[in-house]
Amino acid sequence: MADLSIAVRHIGDVAVILPAGFINAHTVREFEEALEGQVQQGRYKILLNCKDLNYISSAGLGAIMGLIETVRENDGDILLSNLQENVFAIFDTLGFTQLYRVFPEEDQALAAVAPERKA
Amino acid sequence: MAAKVDHAQFRLVIPSQTRYLNLVTGLAKRASLVAGLDDATAAKVSIAVDEAVTNVILHAYRGEGEHSVELELRFTEQALEIHIWHTGQGIRSDQLVLPDPKEYIKHPRKGGLGLLLMSRFMDEVQFKADEVSGRNECCLIKKIS
Repeated sequence: MADLSIAVRHIGDVAVILPAGFINAHTVREFEEALEGQVQQGRYKILLNCKDLNYISSAGLGAIMGLIETVRENDGDILLSNLQENVFAIFDTLGFTQLYRVFPEEDQALAAVAPERKA
Repeated sequence: MAAKVDHAQFRLVIPSQTRYLNLVTGLAKRASLVAGLDDATAAKVSIAVDEAVTNVILHAYRGEGEHSVELELRFTEQALEIHIWHTGQGIRSDQLVLPDPKEYIKHPRKGGLGLLLMSRFMDEVQFKADEVSGRNECCLIKKIS
């Protein structure tokens, strides 16, 4: 089994990225390419659904940090949902839960980033 | 008669390549559970080990994959100790400057987070240099409460 696989869905103008497995220094380039690919397509609203993410190291956090200014300068954002306990602990320990909006479920995150979907 | 040991230990030597990170972190997590730590703490130990070994591969060895990284896990009644040795560029504890998380949030940047995770998730993080052998060590200690 691969250490990391990444699925991408587009819901309206939101790119939902679902990393499954482990993001570490070995797999981070694949994760970065998935994020950068959305930005290059002009998609600045990015939701990371982490339901199948077992693990993220500082390499992965750096990849997110490396794009946050670009997406926010373009009226977008990077949101997080469905964090497993140990992944939440990493984000929270480093203060990322103050930098990024975190939601229990994907639907709640989508409603926050694209509120017109609720209608 | 064999000398009495007051702890159990074993060693693993891996090439300095990131493809082996998952193997090492999986081992660290399992070892933490064997030592009596709970699931959440075991996950944190595995992250700290990932960060320490990644630092060795990418920084001490500058990404060169033909070197070795040696790990020793020691199980004592009080703690799980993970010792990581290498012959690359070393750092000493007194040279370290950990980022301030509050400042980091005000001025986000890429990098500098691994040492912070290690220090937050472990009870002790030590860096040592052995001038005789030329080896450098990172020692991670998690106490068993």
